[in-house]
Amino acid sequence: MKGLKEKESNLIWLIMAFAAGVFLFYPLGKLLLKSFETAGGIGIGLYQEVLAGKKFLLVAGNSVGIAGVSALLTTILAFVCAYSLHFSNLPGSFKKIIKNLCVLPMLLPTITYGFAIIYSFGKQGVYTRLLGRQLFDIYGINGLIIGYIIYTFPIAFLLLTNTMAYIDKKFVLVSRVMGDKGIKTFYVAVFRPLLGTIVTAIIQCFFLSFTDFGIPASVGGKVKTIAGLLYEQMLGSVPDFGRGAVIAIMMLLPSVISILLIWQLEKTNICYNSIENSEIPKGAIRDGILGIMTTLIVSGIMLVLLVIFLIPFISGWPYDLTFTLKHFKNVFADTALTGVLRNSLYVSLATALFGTTISFFAALVATRSKVGKGKKNFLDILGNVTNTIPGMVIGIAYMLTFTGTRLQTTFTIIIICNTLHFFATPYMMMKNSFLKLNSGFEATGKIMGDSWFQSLYRIIIPNTVETIFSVLNYYFVNSMVTISGIVFLTGARTMVMTTKIKELQHFAKFSEIFVLSFLIFLINLTIKVIFKGVKKYEKVI
Amino acid sequence: MLKLEKIKKGFDKKTILDEISLDFREGEIVTILGPSGSGKTTILNIILGLIQADEGRILLRGEDVTDVPMEKRGFNIVFQDYGLFPHLNAYKNIVYGLKNNTGLCSVDEVNDLIKLLELEEHLDKRITELSGGQKQRVAFARTLVMKPQVLLLDEPLSALDGVIKESIKERIKQIAREFKLTTIIVTHDPEEALTLADRVLIINEGKVAAYATPEELIHTPQCDFVNQFILRQLEIKRQNIGQLFTNTPLLQVG
Repeated sequence: MKGLKEKESNLIWLIMAFAAGVFLFYPLGKLLLKSFETAGGIGIGLYQEVLAGKKFLLVAGNSVGIAGVSALLTTILAFVCAYSLHFSNLPGSFKKIIKNLCVLPMLLPTITYGFAIIYSFGKQGVYTRLLGRQLFDIYGINGLIIGYIIYTFPIAFLLLTNTMAYIDKKFVLVSRVMGDKGIKTFYVAVFRPLLGTIVTAIIQCFFLSFTDFGIPASVGGKVKTIAGLLYEQMLGSVPDFGRGAVIAIMMLLPSVISILLIWQLEKTNICYNSIENSEIPKGAIRDGILGIMTTLIVSGIMLVLLVIFLIPFISGWPYDLTFTLKHFKNVFADTALTGVLRNSLYVSLATALFGTTISFFAALVATRSKVGKGKKNFLDILGNVTNTIPGMVIGIAYMLTFTGTRLQTTFTIIIICNTLHFFATPYMMMKNSFLKLNSGFEATGKIMGDSWFQSLYRIIIPNTVETIFSVLNYYFVNSMVTISGIVFLTGARTMVMTTKIKELQHFAKFSEIFVLSFLIFLINLTIKVIFKGVKKYEKVI
Repeated sequence: MLKLEKIKKGFDKKTILDEISLDFREGEIVTILGPSGSGKTTILNIILGLIQADEGRILLRGEDVTDVPMEKRGFNIVFQDYGLFPHLNAYKNIVYGLKNNTGLCSVDEVNDLIKLLELEEHLDKRITELSGGQKQRVAFARTLVMKPQVLLLDEPLSALDGVIKESIKERIKQIAREFKLTTIIVTHDPEEALTLADRVLIINEGKVAAYATPEELIHTPQCDFVNQFILRQLEIKRQNIGQLFTNTPLLQVG
């Protein structure tokens, strides 16, 4: 496909490069510069100051330690669930339910998990009252670990089930035939082939927990994390942007290392090209144990989330336990709150459309155009960079860059922030989808008289419509639940539901918090169901 | 009818085609034969206009088309993997090009073509429901609807099984005759090349090793390469098949 001039692709690339310059590299540069700004010019004074303080090291230690422990626990729990889905003969309906429940937490903002934990295991929590005593202190380390587990469990689960689906199940049989016994078979046929993914899952969970803002904001208590410290420095009572910039850069460090490690691991991953469904040997005891363990894990998570669907309908927990819709009525009567609901819907829809368009064209140029290799690599780098940068860091970089400009606290900047923050996954999804398409399609279309644009909507879009819907869904749901980046960017007029929840926390308005959380969940679930339905319909025709 | 003059092409400093000059006559079938990496597909793509030659000219009926873009040359190609659009059914694939070129082919002509290629009962099927041979025929139909001046086929038989191969071969000859269509076919199989073509072009290391009718190739020695790699292969095949049929009277097949 070489030798053809493609003005369109080059133009798209130029726009992408320009946008990346203005909205990614320039703000990051500005942040970096800020961290080196001292009274006496450029220097490492701020770094010395921050690192010398005992507080920072303590907080950094907290963050690394707690995120590390959570990542390990999450991966073990997710492994058990994924394993019983792929390596047991448990009934299909059971597997289907588990599969759906496991990814349910993704539809809620992390800040909500924190409040759900408080209302389930706190002093006045639902389960505390049912049991008659509090099981453990939830503020601090315990709460953080539970929150992080709920948050990262779906991601670890998805990573592991995806790889397990591609593992050749015949390995188990081959290992048995060769005379291996129980544990050895498990090691050879399951654990070893999965090792890369297991480590990836641990690192990914660590990265997400380490950079999360919502959970420490709600349930952290006196235990400070980097994310909390960063928020304090930027939006606390005594803001210090310079120190904030330093902490943001420090937060970037483990993130970069995590992503580099995952990158390396992906290279060593064993690739199986066939998914063949092989019979899994009978094992009633094994299935029983797996079934019980999976049920326990999933119901544990569901128990915490259940509170979110309970509290909004109770008059006044824990004193007045009658059923009521008054909290919903109040929220819908409050124009400030309905405004926030509208804002959230607007931002998520706009991000879905804008983000999908951007990732579609970026992936298109990277896979199916004749632009130079260097230019294509640049797009891949863009994907990797956005994957590495925590939402909070983007948010702070934007705050430093766009405050005082016309973009400050506008919907535009929030939508751009979300698009960039979540760009990596949609870009990869679109790229994979384009790579699967026959490489001769555009040439065929062109010979038949299609213009570049015609071949796009007559051939490329119809053949990737499923992925486009998945990307729309991904962007929408993530924009609905995100808080870390945009907490620094929303203003009074552009407040969204998650940032409003953070504000309501100040006034201890928990009924409203739960109603808003419930609504976020409902909206996300609806969107998910709609897209699933559309995809099915597409397949039928 | 179609002429290549001193075509040169290289990728990353490696020469793929080295000053190739060729001519194709109106309505003839030419097969391009050569080992993998010999540059045969590159010739096809340069004729099509998918890639640009570094040097040299392409003349169509005396007119220089070297810089005419692919879609304006009026050539068409059936790719090795057919490139059928999976979101459209067989019929919609066939008439794909007519949306942009209304009136190029009348409804009757399209129907005749469908009949000729025996595709009537497959029109509503999705591409994934078609067999290899059916896909091939749909791809042919889609291409012929465009009434190309030159038809290019990239390894048209490589994805098909034995019996279908022979019938598609006949079909290609029939189409070339019926439409008086200059047809250029790339293949790596000597048997295919020699039984399908009016003339065979043998390419080796970016140069023309031979360009002659199948009879000439077999009966008059051309060069070492042709003898070593092409004729010997055929000779071994002939011996094997000969052995199989010793003392057997001619079979009455079909």
